[in-house]
Amino acid sequence: MAVITNLGVGIGWRSEIDLTVERLPGVDFVEVVAENLHIGRLPESVTLLLERGIPVLPHAVSLSLGSADEVDLNRVEHLGGIAEAVGAPMVSDHVCFVRAGGLDSGHLMPVPRTKDALDVLVANVKLAQRNLPVPLALENVAALLEWPGGELTEGQFLAELVERTDCWLLVDVANLYANARNIGTDPERFLDEIPLERLAYVHVAGGVEHGDVYHDTHAHAVLPEVLGLLGELCSRVKPPGVLLERDDNYPSDTEIATELAAIRAVVDGHRG
Amino acid sequence: MVDDNGFPAARERLAAAQAELLTALLADGPAPAGFDEQRLDVERRALLSKRRGIVRMLGPAVADELGERFRPLFDAYAVAHPRRAGSRAREDAAAFAEWCRAAGELAVKRKARWKFWQSN
Repeated sequence: MAVITNLGVGIGWRSEIDLTVERLPGVDFVEVVAENLHIGRLPESVTLLLERGIPVLPHAVSLSLGSADEVDLNRVEHLGGIAEAVGAPMVSDHVCFVRAGGLDSGHLMPVPRTKDALDVLVANVKLAQRNLPVPLALENVAALLEWPGGELTEGQFLAELVERTDCWLLVDVANLYANARNIGTDPERFLDEIPLERLAYVHVAGGVEHGDVYHDTHAHAVLPEVLGLLGELCSRVKPPGVLLERDDNYPSDTEIATELAAIRAVVDGHRG
Repeated sequence: MVDDNGFPAARERLAAAQAELLTALLADGPAPAGFDEQRLDVERRALLSKRRGIVRMLGPAVADELGERFRPLFDAYAVAHPRRAGSRAREDAAAFAEWCRAAGELAVKRKARWKFWQSN
């Protein structure tokens, strides 16, 4: 039984576009970056959205659950506290590592697709789940490089993760596109291999090409190819929700509204 | 029965591999075996660019004062001072400004305050 259904189309709430998010038509739900909020001092704009009945889902970027380091339970507790503060039915982070060897990469780094990495990730995820008040969804990340010695495809890796932890999946179709471009992931096979019945919702974002590499910047327009992958996903399952992430180089309200409308058109095109 | 922090051997192997990769990407360490060197370079530049952008955003006055020197100075600072786990972006921005001052690249910050003992 899905924890969340019929979220609709949403956008990542960011303080830089708080007024935009408030006044845009057709925002059915939002995500907040948990690390940017303080429990007990929610931004006025987020409170306003909650008062309107807009679901607010906390999204974390720093749990580093794919890291060999021990899980930082303070970070897990903060995420859970934000979930309770906004009454969220679910929280999320990524299948990645951020920190290792005492260093912080400042980014969501891919984990090796090995049994070792999967065992560690599973143990970390279970520990986080036991310390969270609501279910956890985990998102596929965009990789610029490929670890050697991969034993599983990305889809198989995520399927095993779900099987062993009962977590949900947050599928980012822009990250899937990035991996298809940069490390040769087969997107259709990925969608075939992951358990779509455990799909929490979907992320869509923009990026840009530099040379032969696609960079998932969240600071450029969404590519038609990414919307194409959203369509591919929608042809297999009706996603409970689809959310646009924009994190920098913010365009006009009109451009954001146009991107949301394009996403809605893809989702509605596969309805029924 | 596997305990919660199970798989100690797997954890140890993964820790070594992840630390080796981050040291290569962030602190000019040797390239780990099996990786495409060009892609390591792409990743290294992407991480540096992201960190530089955050420091520029958090300290626009420092970036403005440095002008065209900002980028080469930041890149030299960054590789010598990779971000430590648990550190905050604002600390990074402050440490960079301090590093520039120590190198004589930035004017020494003067706190505007009224010194009553100098006033007449």
